[in-house]
Amino acid sequence: MQKSLTPRYLIIGIILAWAIYALQPTWEYENMSEEKKEELRTSGELEKTESRIIRQGLDLKGGMYIVLEADIPMLVSNLASIKDDRLENLINDAKDRSSGQNQDFFSVFEENVKTDGIKLSRYYHEYGASLEQIMTALNDEADDAINRVLEILQNRVDQFGVSEPTIQKQGNHRIVVELAGIQDSERARALLQSTALLEFYLVKNIAVTNEVITQLDNALKGDETLASTLKQDTKKTDESNKDDGSTTVSELFGDTETIVDESTEKENTVDDIFLEAPFSGLLSAIPGDMGIEEKNLYAFKKLLDREEVRSTLENANGQFLLSQQSEAVVTNAPEKYYRLYYLEKRPELTGGIVDEARADLGSLGGGSAGQPVVSLAMNSEGSRTWSRVTGANVGERIAIVLDQKVHMAPSIREKIPGGRTQIEGFADLNEAKDLAIILRAGALPAPVNIIEERIVGPSLGADSISQGTQAVLIGLASVLLFMLVYYKLAGTVADFALIWNILLVLAVLASLQATLTLPGIAGLILTVGMSIDANVIIFERIREELRKGKTPKAAIDSGYDRALTTIIDANVTTLIASLVLYQFGTGPIKGFATVLFWGILISMFTAVFITRTIFNAYVSNRTLTKLSI
Amino acid sequence: MRIVRDTHIDFMSKTFIAGCLSALLIIIGAASLIINGGPKLSIDFKGGTMVAVNFTEPVDINKIRSALAEVSIDGQNFDFSTEEIKHFGDETNVAIRIASLDNEPPRFANRVAEKLATVYPELLPEERTDFILSIDKVGPKVGAELSGDAILAMLYALGFILVYISIRFEFKYAVGAIAALTHDVLITLGVFSVLGYEISLAVIAAFLTIVGYSLNDTIVIFDRVRENVKALKGASMESVINQSINESLSRTIITSLTTFLVVLILFLVGGEVIHTFSFAMIVGVIIGTYSSIFVASPVVIKMDKTS
Repeated sequence: MQKSLTPRYLIIGIILAWAIYALQPTWEYENMSEEKKEELRTSGELEKTESRIIRQGLDLKGGMYIVLEADIPMLVSNLASIKDDRLENLINDAKDRSSGQNQDFFSVFEENVKTDGIKLSRYYHEYGASLEQIMTALNDEADDAINRVLEILQNRVDQFGVSEPTIQKQGNHRIVVELAGIQDSERARALLQSTALLEFYLVKNIAVTNEVITQLDNALKGDETLASTLKQDTKKTDESNKDDGSTTVSELFGDTETIVDESTEKENTVDDIFLEAPFSGLLSAIPGDMGIEEKNLYAFKKLLDREEVRSTLENANGQFLLSQQSEAVVTNAPEKYYRLYYLEKRPELTGGIVDEARADLGSLGGGSAGQPVVSLAMNSEGSRTWSRVTGANVGERIAIVLDQKVHMAPSIREKIPGGRTQIEGFADLNEAKDLAIILRAGALPAPVNIIEERIVGPSLGADSISQGTQAVLIGLASVLLFMLVYYKLAGTVADFALIWNILLVLAVLASLQATLTLPGIAGLILTVGMSIDANVIIFERIREELRKGKTPKAAIDSGYDRALTTIIDANVTTLIASLVLYQFGTGPIKGFATVLFWGILISMFTAVFITRTIFNAYVSNRTLTKLSI
Repeated sequence: MRIVRDTHIDFMSKTFIAGCLSALLIIIGAASLIINGGPKLSIDFKGGTMVAVNFTEPVDINKIRSALAEVSIDGQNFDFSTEEIKHFGDETNVAIRIASLDNEPPRFANRVAEKLATVYPELLPEERTDFILSIDKVGPKVGAELSGDAILAMLYALGFILVYISIRFEFKYAVGAIAALTHDVLITLGVFSVLGYEISLAVIAAFLTIVGYSLNDTIVIFDRVRENVKALKGASMESVINQSINESLSRTIITSLTTFLVVLILFLVGGEVIHTFSFAMIVGVIIGTYSSIFVASPVVIKMDKTS
């Protein structure tokens, strides 16, 4: 017996030593003071430790998890050399149908094109002549675009300065970004989602602007439904709605949020202004520009989306864009306004002309003294165009537009030759810094939409850790105690094995660089409850054999032998369930599956192999007549 | 110490009563599911926004509800008073769940949180970043995909397990095991529906764990049956199964007890985030133990007779 035990001791010794080695950095890290961490971080030694510790998931550490999806339909639409309604309709239809039925956009689009009989080569002649060629090329463009998006986002996040960010592609058109310990989720979101399309548009002069507004008023005039809707949308919110279920507004705009109370007295007198001049009725005069009051923003955007407005603007070759943020025109007044600009349809200068972007506070003496600004340096091509445009339009205003929002619209005082310019209009220095980062990293080839977003605040994460740890400790303690009371000496052996089970799971997590999540902690607790099962099965068998009159040694031998197949069969099914979970789960669920899988697997080693070895050693050197079980 | 002495309970004679009980539980659950139009799905599957915030002292949900009846975001009016608003964990925390909107304004979740802050401006935490506990936003498309994945995961798990048990035991045992765990998942689903708890991703994970646990229990009994079928040649399937259940009864009770103990502790001290997960596990442990004896075994007898 002694001879056959030696390799067992060796295996157990090696594995336990490995577990201690694997867990040592985590132990050290958790007990390290903040000062010490900071010290090691500056010397670069901390990273080495951090790469060997059990990583905490976002749900424990706090942070944000965002899934971005590249807007492929928009990319396809942008790639077309000419645009018309026929193509747009096909793209939009394919977009709706593919997202509704969970299908690939391109296959639906191709189907649409075939049914419609449209000649794609008319729109995409640079990409080939046949439908197949064009579809392949568009597919390649989309793949290429998502890879560039990935690279650019990586660049942005790196410069933003978060520890251990992860940015990964998921499927074909998606990117998952995980940022731990983020305090300002809005800032991070803006940084990721911004397309960073920088454009310079000339502002149309006042006479032209007035003319188009008159045209728009005429086009919309006399529509009573519209007038009452506008009144409804722009009314003060303190006139409370009565929820009587009537929804006349929805008929016009498909809007189900606003509930009109027809019986209210005021509703019966439709405001003249919205009947006579629906468009200009929404505008306010503010110093220097036209303005849209904040509360009218929604109504105004819906108005811009109307068919009459779109076609009028199309014919006039112009577009309305709003300023990036609202401002109070009178100091401390509650009303805030967005500035409204009427711009040329085509930009004078666009896209990747930025060589260098830097955030600063405006220098003294200038108009922006002390204000955050972003200074741009353009490349040679950009500089040439910029100098031509500014030279030809002295006295005109030019709008600097980022992602369809006007940052500023200064008047051109003189020709600017060096390709340098400054952007103003930021809420604070951080916003300017972020814009500089975005401009340096470059514009995204396709817009991205956030389709899933999960943020855990630091306080909830801290609560989860303390509650989770508490649950593990109490659960473990009560199971240990139960085994001790119920199985006495044998229970102690099982307890010893259970503690090693937990430590080994943690050691595996540390060396796999797996992430411990809150469901993962739950998995750990479950492991405690379930892995003790192996010992219960064995001990009950041994008791049975003892009752049959076998000696302790014989009872232990046959108890283990007969319990083994049961334990393996029973555990394999749980292992299957956890593998399936791992395959299908996301984030936290994966964490649960990982812990459960390793917990069950390791329990077969600790509860069978380790306890057997201890029992064998216990019975081998003496003749026992009684077994404490 | 021994909880269970040698027992000779005729479990299989109680099959009819147990069958009625199971049928009753499943019917109640199914009725509740039909009345409620299917299980109550969390935003993980339905899409939508959930915001949880934290005040320094207990707050009144009704006051918050009425304050959210009229919310204006950039001139767009919303009525959130009909959305689900409830305490999150304890009474100082509030969670609101809003269904997916077609024309959601930018920064929607943060705007909702800002609105919540104005209801009790005197009860805000000192650190601004401590106010928002969590934000979850799931687009409708992602929600649909996640539910598809969850159903697929359940089916795959069941399929693989069926194959494994068929290989290790016989097909009739596999049918018994699958019947038992389908029973378990159906009843747990029913309990969730009756209590109005929602099904989230974490609950699906709990369901799959219940599947694993229930099988674990069933297989321990089947293993005994397999052994006893050889040992007691000529005995009827009923008596073999009865004896096997009795022999493994003390193990069944002890393991169920320890597992029940730990999930109960998880439910009590584990915190709000995994509350529904641990609740599903509690239900699952009880039902899983019961079904190994009263569902899986009778099905095997039935299959044995027909073959």
